[in-house]
Amino acid sequence: MSLDVAGGVRVGEFDLDVSIDAAPGEVLAVLGPNGAGKSTLLRALAGLLALDTGAVRLGSHVLDDPARGVFVAPQQRRLGVVFQDHRLVPHLRVVDNVAFGLRARGADARNARAAAHTWLDRLGVGELARRHPRQLSGGQAQRVALARALACEPEALLMDEPLAALDVQTRAEVQGGLREHLGAYGGPALIVPPDPIEALLLASRIVVLERGRVVQVGSPAEITSRPLTPYVARLVGMNLYPGTADGDTVRVDGGGSVVAADAPGGRVLAALRPSAITVHTEQPHGSSARNIWTATITSLVPLGDRIRVGTSGELPATVDVTAAAVAELELALGRQVWLSAKATDVTAYPAP
Amino acid sequence: MTRARRGTGLGTPLVAVPPAVVGVAFLLVPTLALLVRTPWDRLGAIYRDEHVWTALRISIESSLEATALSLVFGVPLAWMLARLRVPGIGLARAIVTIPLVLPPVIGGVALFNGFGRNGLLGRPIHTALGQDLPFSYLGIVLAQVFVAMPFLVITVEGAFRISDRGIEEAAATLGASRSRIFLRVTVPLVMPAIVAGAVLCWARALGEFGATLLFGGNVRGSTQTLPTLVLSVFQTNPADAPALALPLMLVAVLVLVGLRDRWLRTAATS
Repeated sequence: MSLDVAGGVRVGEFDLDVSIDAAPGEVLAVLGPNGAGKSTLLRALAGLLALDTGAVRLGSHVLDDPARGVFVAPQQRRLGVVFQDHRLVPHLRVVDNVAFGLRARGADARNARAAAHTWLDRLGVGELARRHPRQLSGGQAQRVALARALACEPEALLMDEPLAALDVQTRAEVQGGLREHLGAYGGPALIVPPDPIEALLLASRIVVLERGRVVQVGSPAEITSRPLTPYVARLVGMNLYPGTADGDTVRVDGGGSVVAADAPGGRVLAALRPSAITVHTEQPHGSSARNIWTATITSLVPLGDRIRVGTSGELPATVDVTAAAVAELELALGRQVWLSAKATDVTAYPAP
Repeated sequence: MTRARRGTGLGTPLVAVPPAVVGVAFLLVPTLALLVRTPWDRLGAIYRDEHVWTALRISIESSLEATALSLVFGVPLAWMLARLRVPGIGLARAIVTIPLVLPPVIGGVALFNGFGRNGLLGRPIHTALGQDLPFSYLGIVLAQVFVAMPFLVITVEGAFRISDRGIEEAAATLGASRSRIFLRVTVPLVMPAIVAGAVLCWARALGEFGATLLFGGNVRGSTQTLPTLVLSVFQTNPADAPALALPLMLVAVLVLVGLRDRWLRTAATS
């Protein structure tokens, strides 16, 4: 059964209007800056918020369609929801939290508890069954919340992730487990990961929201190689230049130009990986690179085993270099440098 | 530290000291006098009187029943006041507040005119119960509910207002009906406030005097409670009255100790 929404809702000044669908077995990650509408989208799908226009469908079943006066309450939607703040019932033990949904749907106490134990074991937190939620760590609470959602055997899974609050070790463990459980889950899963890396690891498809609108949908590979907005480009760490293509030259809005090996005509976006740019202290001669420009270093930030160099100039660019290169070239803030990139490393594609 | 603060002019203002001392002394002296003037030597004789034990039993039973009724009707009412967004809810809240500000004796007059034999609902009540409410045991229970239930409602309403709605949403996505959410999630979440409100309500019901006297009468063996007995004793034998205050004072102290943490917490967070 697929889950899809095409419609809009207004919450105060904020306006969400999207068209998104998730197929069975698909893990769809929703990315976007704070306030883009990710949580609002999840609330609308869960039935905690009614659409103003459009419809939510689960397979052939209409869950919300204001034009036809249809609204299925969250109780009847059979969706598993994992909230960012877990929302475990504080006065119930872990096992009773997981059994809660089964009890609410009519299972007797003994069967519900037995099923709850099974799910807790499956998620590797069986030994926590008798604890109260306040005795759990963030990672444990998230697994219990996931067990609680999955125990009802939902038609689709909605998951707002809180990993930002977890320490690095727990985070790695939770991510590993999550991939496994999402893989085993057969229905559509819509997750809001805390960072793009997680989306790239978990998702089969990524939807990017900005200011309540879908700005890009695609596979992780498409999103990373062809970002459509400055936000997405920053998210995946790409340099992005909007401009107009003339032959293989892209005239960048705001000045300058880049040469791409293969550019379509008209309005385009030219994307360039930070690691594909070379830094020189003097104007390079005899270089095969067709893009050579000057820039001023504005920032130097360590990033893993590399240094991320921010530059300003006609074509502002982020460049990744090794620590050795920074020392050898004596790169420092305010220093004038030459940058070069091969035309084959510049990807130009039609602007949306 | 203290020296430094005094030096910066932030110490205790001298002008505040005398009124504060007089204030606490004024509150202390009468309470102290009750203990000092209790006829300890005749305590046994006074408490051997059958009427005293009957009044004490009626007081405890009626106040517990009034508290139970207040819980059954007051907790759902508190939820409505806290959560419903409909026109007229402000009016409903005002109605709940009336008994808090009305002198209890006027409450008794009001009960008479509402539920008495010739009251607005007198005839249907007589038909339904086969008896009149005034001067009956049920009458004193209802008089106590009238005066004490608002304490419970106001306490619990505040808790419903600030309780975590997110957990209720989660319960809804798990398929729990509204009633199930109310009984299994919302009410347990505010249980500390319900307990505190019930204790306040019970203490108020136990000490109820004005409305009980008017609506219940002061009939020995059926509607005479400890407070109304104190009135009778005070009129005929005033020296014995302090002895009858002991159980009520004991309750007051227990309530204070029981709720102290809660009040301190409230004061600290507000």
